[in-house]
Amino acid sequence: MNTTRRTLVLGASTLLAAPAIIRSARADAEPIRFGWLTTMTGPLSAPGIGFDRGVRWAAEQINANGGVQGRKIEVITRDTQGDPTKAVNAVQELINRVKVHSVFGPTNSGEALATTPILARAKIPTLTAGVVDSLIDPAKFPNAFRVAASNTQWDDAVRNYTLKIVKGKKIAITADATGYGTSAVNASLASFKKEGAEIVFDGVIDATQADVTPDMLRMKNSGADVLVSWTVSAGMAARQMNARAAMNWDVPIVGHPALGTGDIARLLDKPANWEKVYMIGYRSSSYDASGKLPPRAQALVDKIKGKVQLDDTLLWWILSGVDGVNLIADAVKETKGDSSSEAIIGYLNGLKGYPGVFGTYRFSPEQHNGFPPEEVVMQQASKRRDGAFDLAPGYT
Amino acid sequence: MLSAILASGLAIGAVYALIGVTYNVMFSASRVMSFTAGQLGMLGGVLGSAFILRMGVPILPGLVLTLATCAAIGVATEIVAVRPVLNSLEQHLYVLSTLAFALMIQQLVAIFWSTEPQPFPRLIGIGSGGPEDEKFWLPLVACAAVVGCLEFLYRRTLVGRAFLAIAEDNFAARALGLPERDLRMASYAIAGAIGGVAGFASGEMLLAFFANGGILNFYGFVPVALGGLGNNRGAIVGGLALGVFQQAANFLVGGVFAGVAVFAVFIVVLLAAPQGLFGAAPARRV
Repeated sequence: MNTTRRTLVLGASTLLAAPAIIRSARADAEPIRFGWLTTMTGPLSAPGIGFDRGVRWAAEQINANGGVQGRKIEVITRDTQGDPTKAVNAVQELINRVKVHSVFGPTNSGEALATTPILARAKIPTLTAGVVDSLIDPAKFPNAFRVAASNTQWDDAVRNYTLKIVKGKKIAITADATGYGTSAVNASLASFKKEGAEIVFDGVIDATQADVTPDMLRMKNSGADVLVSWTVSAGMAARQMNARAAMNWDVPIVGHPALGTGDIARLLDKPANWEKVYMIGYRSSSYDASGKLPPRAQALVDKIKGKVQLDDTLLWWILSGVDGVNLIADAVKETKGDSSSEAIIGYLNGLKGYPGVFGTYRFSPEQHNGFPPEEVVMQQASKRRDGAFDLAPGYT
Repeated sequence: MLSAILASGLAIGAVYALIGVTYNVMFSASRVMSFTAGQLGMLGGVLGSAFILRMGVPILPGLVLTLATCAAIGVATEIVAVRPVLNSLEQHLYVLSTLAFALMIQQLVAIFWSTEPQPFPRLIGIGSGGPEDEKFWLPLVACAAVVGCLEFLYRRTLVGRAFLAIAEDNFAARALGLPERDLRMASYAIAGAIGGVAGFASGEMLLAFFANGGILNFYGFVPVALGGLGNNRGAIVGGLALGVFQQAANFLVGGVFAGVAVFAVFIVVLLAAPQGLFGAAPARRV
């Protein structure tokens, strides 16, 4: 066979292109590795178990429908047990050994504070559902995107509801004497003062205090007409509600989502003590006057009811888990199968209103708090079904 | 307002007093400050809730089962954490051994029960949360009953006098043929039951919560120090005073400052009377 110049060039080009073609073929076939960090065991496991149901359901749906451009979503779960050290170890493993394409979590803010800088150094697209404000900083962590509300949004929701809907004039702010409780009281105090509200009481209470009547008497004597509570302790919240009833003090309690945890129901002297308690929640997991959720969330609930357990968890955890997987799957789909960090981060930065089941997300290179503030609302703590709550009175 | 503060103050004070008595009963028999006293109080609430609410045992048998289990744990404390270190009391190894045993109890409860407060059953059903509610006066009734029973035991029975003999001078008591080890174990069983009574009677107020143990250990020790080590009357008065003062401080200054106020007074009292308000000054051998 004669070797012409043309065949020589063709052969050389084929040889040069071969590794890229092989790499591309392998990338097309390999699954999209979705690192999923959450607390599945231990005292902080309740949210993690809820999120996990959403993550698994979404991945199963995508894979059952042929995956993303023929690629399966592979969820690689690591149980961090609420321990930042375990979370850091898991992140190192996901980055260096598993070589994930993206990470969702850890869902607990304390762990996320430890893992966020590591994920930023590795430039792994990261979705976070933690509320601590400092988890999101596009300059320091250009890879990290928040897909839930921030502490500031929680503060705004509580302040707006207290001042504009409940029309509170004299506010008492309280929390348990933990690090979170103390900082939450200070942040809330600053937020209310910024609006010119009159704060008649602010202080923390030991969560294990057997009887909170003296503290509640102080609040009542100060003339408070709304009690803002940031406690995460079911025991302390229940004691406050029981003391409020025993004192015949008809004052609304507004505050942290923990005011609606199921443990409270069993600690109340009577169910009526849970009335007029409004907690932070989300539009997507709030029933309107007709008992319906917003359309996208309702459609999902109709689809998963009976297949995913809803009655022992919070619906928003499941919804957020579903959105976490769908966001990454759609990022790969819209970038024509490119699962590189740059492609996924670029896609997320350009989202102008992604219609998730939990929220409608908006990101830009400068703004990575993607959850819309208007979708953070107050809910009636005692009115819960299938993990969702009735919208608090006063919203349209 | 005053009645609400007094009711809750006396109630929590009665619990502190009973834990103080638990410390004292164990101390009298062994010269050991056992830091399992607060955990026994915690177990009174947790076991009461477990037997009555979870297992459906009626209230009275539930109380008996709770006290029997707490007494058994008291005996276990003596065997596991006290007896092995009795020969080296001057090295204070009991601090480590009893604290370790207490932490073990607490961790086991956290694992097998819950880390969240759990409800305790309504025992009689009197009151609706106000100062007249049973949750405030049941601990006082329990405290009075324990004091009465202990007085009867120590002053009217031969076994009680044997306990006092051991507490006074265990070498002399042994020389007289008293079974010191059996009496010590019986003292720990009684102490366990008293701790159980404290937790059971205050269950509606403190709830069945694993973290109560540490708090009761801490605040139950204060009346012992205030009243004088080994002095039950001192522990009762000190406990009640502590409870009322603590609730008054919660009302007047609130939150973390209340804890500071309590310990400021505690330190002042100990500076003024190092042997405790009711303790006798130690006799000096000449």
